[in-house]
Amino acid sequence: MKKIKKQELARLLQQWQADYTVLAPSRATEVAAMAEWDGKDIGFLEWYRNTVIPPKEVILPNMEELFRFQKEGAGYRLTAAAPEAKQLVFGIRPCDARALAIIDLVFQDTYPDDYYLSRRQNTLLVGLGCTRPCDSCFCTSMGVSPGESGDVDLMCTDTGDELMIEGITAKGKELLEKTGGLAEASPEDGSRRQEAIEQARQRITRHLDTGGIAEKLQRSFEDKEFWERIAAKCITCGVCTFLCPTCYCFDINDEKTAAGGGARFRNWDSCSFAAYTRMPAENPREQKWQRVRQKVCHKYEFYPRLFNIIACTGCGRCIRLCPVNWDITETLKSVPAPTTT
Amino acid sequence: MSNEGWEPKILGFLCKWCSYAGADLAGTSRKKYPANIRIIKIPCSGRIDPLLIIKALRLGFDGVLVSGCHPGDCHYQTGNYRARRRIAITKKFLEYLGVEPQRLQASWVSASEGDKFARVVAEVTREVKEVGPNRLFVDERLGSQVTD
Amino acid sequence: MKDWEARLRTEARKLLEQGEIEYLIGFAPGSLKFTTTPLITGNKEDAGLLVINPFITNNLSVFLNETRGRTGIVAKGCDARAIISLIQDNQVAREKVFIIGVPCPGIIDLRKVEKLTGRDRDELDDITLAGERVTVTWDGQPREFPAAEVLRDDCLDCTSPAPREYDLLLGEEAHAGAAAGRGKSKIRELEALPPERRWDFWKNEFSRCIRCYACRQICPACFCERCFVEEAEPHWVSPLPAWQENLLFQATRIIHVAGRCVDCGECERACPVHIPLRLLTGKMEDIVDELFHYRAGMDKNEPPLMTAYQPEEAEDFIR
Repeated sequence: MKKIKKQELARLLQQWQADYTVLAPSRATEVAAMAEWDGKDIGFLEWYRNTVIPPKEVILPNMEELFRFQKEGAGYRLTAAAPEAKQLVFGIRPCDARALAIIDLVFQDTYPDDYYLSRRQNTLLVGLGCTRPCDSCFCTSMGVSPGESGDVDLMCTDTGDELMIEGITAKGKELLEKTGGLAEASPEDGSRRQEAIEQARQRITRHLDTGGIAEKLQRSFEDKEFWERIAAKCITCGVCTFLCPTCYCFDINDEKTAAGGGARFRNWDSCSFAAYTRMPAENPREQKWQRVRQKVCHKYEFYPRLFNIIACTGCGRCIRLCPVNWDITETLKSVPAPTTT
Repeated sequence: MSNEGWEPKILGFLCKWCSYAGADLAGTSRKKYPANIRIIKIPCSGRIDPLLIIKALRLGFDGVLVSGCHPGDCHYQTGNYRARRRIAITKKFLEYLGVEPQRLQASWVSASEGDKFARVVAEVTREVKEVGPNRLFVDERLGSQVTD
Repeated sequence: MKDWEARLRTEARKLLEQGEIEYLIGFAPGSLKFTTTPLITGNKEDAGLLVINPFITNNLSVFLNETRGRTGIVAKGCDARAIISLIQDNQVAREKVFIIGVPCPGIIDLRKVEKLTGRDRDELDDITLAGERVTVTWDGQPREFPAAEVLRDDCLDCTSPAPREYDLLLGEEAHAGAAAGRGKSKIRELEALPPERRWDFWKNEFSRCIRCYACRQICPACFCERCFVEEAEPHWVSPLPAWQENLLFQATRIIHVAGRCVDCGECERACPVHIPLRLLTGKMEDIVDELFHYRAGMDKNEPPLMTAYQPEEAEDFIR
């Protein structure tokens, strides 16, 4: 394990900037998001708890050009979008890193999504353990430890004045080997690191028991009264889904530019929108309660059935950013227990 | 960047009963007016949704003209009164956003006012030409969306 | 405000018990510190959950078209105007609502508190509003600020803090725009800029819009069953969050709600990326007042702005 003084972080990131586009937490666009690091500012270490826009954005952008098309003779010439340069995300939290591992399962499934997968391949994740979890965080209930992660390439732990850095994957270890200006961590550093990890755990104040949740949801599926009550205050905007690190639904649109050409894009879509399932003849989720039910069940029942993992890592964004303070943990706690054993 | 040889493209929404007929009259009377205007016939100036105006600017039109019947003469009684309020608000709001006020124009042209129509188009074209090409929504990546 | 809360709970319970209303829409404590959440219930026991405090930010009138049956609704001054506007638009029948009016002392803007204190919301111990002063406690230390520094901008020059229409009024006092004019100071600043700078400003702001539609969904005036952005034939607005499309969407939306928007500021509060939408809604309110001497939701018998007209008005821009 290596370490570096926090005040020297800039030199470390600058080193990595030689080979990667380095992204780090930034408030340059008003709200916290991962953005291209400006080459010198490490002030984010003071205020950074988590981003508003989840890091999934760097792998699955909200506006992603897939290819361009141009009329040529009787047909069209297609030009694939330029491959992304290698990028390094510094400071991704364990919840968001786990979330990527969770949605990988969809994009690797029957029809591998080359756009997602190549960006994923080209992105090196440097995790940063939490020291100040928010009151909306409930990652520990979702099998995530806020201070540590196996879902990143390199993992950093903040022990006060220093960052401990550990190589997790082969890619990460390789980078760590090549990186200069790092000191060796001592056994005392190791204990300090363990303490920090434990402290982060202790600071999580929101808990949720997910035992049997998939079964409970399955049995409550037809309970219209329950879902109507749960959905009553939801306004069916896209905040929770767009800012959720495990949501991945997208829409595809072609946009025309002048003179017989254009581009095909992908953008985020939300099952909360009425338009999501609207078809000419019908809309199977016309009613708000049906869409709210779908969203909850997708994450806590359908996804586990398909991929053996709940599609939620307890990052808490949906709770703290929902305009009506709709709270998933409260909803899940109130799902009726099955009446028959 | 020089605007030499640039001609503005102006989108005209003309109400079917008055202004479009007035434009027809200008044509049959062989009145000359600039060919910069592209005309869309609408049932009534009251059909105008601010969406249409902003969309026209988004597509790259340099100016938009909405023309309807004179107040009191609307074929549908009150359509042009609604249009008047809507366009008044849209004009002030677009100006606040930073859109040059000359890009949205309005006129009352009746079916018998072929002369007036020709004059209006000439004036509007001149004003829009002075303001210059509409680059409001231009993005290097997506480009303009106006096709000929 | 505490006795208003007690009175509200009693009255609401009675109304439900006696069948005066079938549903109640009010505020319950939120699951996070210094938040509240809408409470929509037909159960009289839930009346005990109702709260009145400086965090009752939502404009609950957005839920009115969803309840089937007579509905009691807790309304601040701006909310009551929104209800009246909905009545003017024939979206809600006056008889359907039982308006429980809250003479609003102002709502606290948590973003302002966070900026002022340098602390995040969950790191604060307490926030209390008492008249013109707000006390914020953190690290065990209470510190006082003038209320005007932490109240929402739209509260600063609110001219109708007391609901204009109500069936029951919970109290008498209401702050009357403690810092009148201040709430629109940023609009005045923008107006002073040259047009290209203004357009650049909006281009920049709308570059971060993610098209979540929280602004539209939280707005009581946006009640169309099918929004223009959802039209595929013709495809007016691309769902892609390019700044041009975002600006096209919002500019059109603001004009669509002109004369019905009461500038309650909820769209701005709901926006997860902090786009300053009140710089648009506030300006639209001014435009409508300047052109037609009209303010939304003042009189339920007044015809809506965009359907009314005078034989002669606003003609100077028409050839």
